[in-house]
Amino acid sequence: MTSSLVRQALILAALALLPGVGEAIYFRHKISWQSPIPPSELVTVAQAHVWGENVIWVDARPDEEFARDHVPGALSLNEDRWNELLPQFLAVWSPGRKIVVYCSSLSCNASREIAVRLRKEAQLPDVFVLEGGWEAWLKSK
Amino acid sequence: MDVIVAGIFIYAGAIKALDPVQFASDIDNYKIVPWPVSVVLAFYLPWLEIFCGFALVVRLLYRGALSISTALILTFTFATVAAKVRGLDITCGCFGHASQHWSFPAHLATNLGILAALLALWVSNRSAKPL
Repeated sequence: MTSSLVRQALILAALALLPGVGEAIYFRHKISWQSPIPPSELVTVAQAHVWGENVIWVDARPDEEFARDHVPGALSLNEDRWNELLPQFLAVWSPGRKIVVYCSSLSCNASREIAVRLRKEAQLPDVFVLEGGWEAWLKSK
Repeated sequence: MDVIVAGIFIYAGAIKALDPVQFASDIDNYKIVPWPVSVVLAFYLPWLEIFCGFALVVRLLYRGALSISTALILTFTFATVAAKVRGLDITCGCFGHASQHWSFPAHLATNLGILAALLALWVSNRSAKPL
């Protein structure tokens, strides 16, 4: 009976592979296998500098880290106070400006989450995540 | 009971199969596996759930479907608890956007409810002739 159970489970597991592989092929250009953030949505510190005044920097770290230090001119916009801070951000934003969101480091999620919310909920274009986050900014100084 | 449990698995699988990019991100948030593994799981797990759901409905490969479903729900529950223990404040991703704002107790209760239903199916089908 155990062998029958294992055989059945293996058959199901194998069957599920087929549409899974098909979907992976279909979505191959919409997802990166190297990083959770698609390359088209990432920006380096150097690239962001090139954009100059056209950039709105968004600090997605918690309030206390923002208060300690942040990119000059950056606006705080984090998950904890999203509803409160979003109107302040929208008051500064204007069409054509690029938004660069950062959090602490390469491994943090906050910048990605905020970038997704800015695109989906606030419906804003040109939202990018800073590669390496605040750490990369500090290194570049 | 079969149909209810199957419906849950088919719904959960279908909603995630429609948006594997979001599901990969949800898996990655748990910080248990590296990103490339999250991507593989995001493409594979929803279909495994769907196939298991259909197998439970049509009672084909029934015990195999029960065993995979039980293993999946145990794994999801473990991941949920592990995330909570490590202080991760994340969306579960279990039912796509529908579960985006679920609290940890709601998430855990749902998983345990499904697990209890699966165990009931195991017991009620213990004497059934395997297909």
